[in-house]
Amino acid sequence: MSLHNNLKDARLARALTQEALAARVGVTRQTIIAIEKAKFVPSVRLALELARALETPIDRLFWLDGKKGARS
Amino acid sequence: MTGMRAYYLSRAVLSAAIGAFAVFAGSVWWIGIIVGVVSFAFFWLAPRLGRYAVHPEEGVTALRRDERLQSINAAAGLNAFVVSMLGLAGVIIYFGMLSARDVPVMVLEALLILGALVYYSTDFWLRRTQA
Repeated sequence: MSLHNNLKDARLARALTQEALAARVGVTRQTIIAIEKAKFVPSVRLALELARALETPIDRLFWLDGKKGARS
Repeated sequence: MTGMRAYYLSRAVLSAAIGAFAVFAGSVWWIGIIVGVVSFAFFWLAPRLGRYAVHPEEGVTALRRDERLQSINAAAGLNAFVVSMLGLAGVIIYFGMLSARDVPVMVLEALLILGALVYYSTDFWLRRTQA
């Protein structure tokens, strides 16, 4: 079961650059890029920090295959 | 004052202190300046190269590896350790049982270099593929 995310859309909806979001959650811009491309799975802590920074429920940012519950 | 501005100002002071330390440690003044400039260049480049995240509120230790960089470093370290240990086992078996000679220092140096090469190549590869 793979993890999907909506990070890029949520970030763009708040007119944030990758660099600005990275600064808000205390990671590098490359880490934001890696998460958006689904090449890196963030820890629960970082996922929660991203959800808080983007003021979005975490299950609208990250979901597993076939478990889109909150998105549908 | 913005976070990054505070970071650059504090790094400038720290770089000057590092340069001054080099002079007090016996280097000529222009070496101290070079050390200070190189130190500041490192602090300036570090956030841009993606090797560190900046946490200005942490003061002297403002540069931190984030969790992705920590996982890359852990994987690189593990690969280097495994390759070095397998190499060492092979060397011990060869020189202890087959050749019955002392292990030449040069061979041990080559193993250390191999471990370092594995570390940096893994680090480089994971940075490329995870970004």
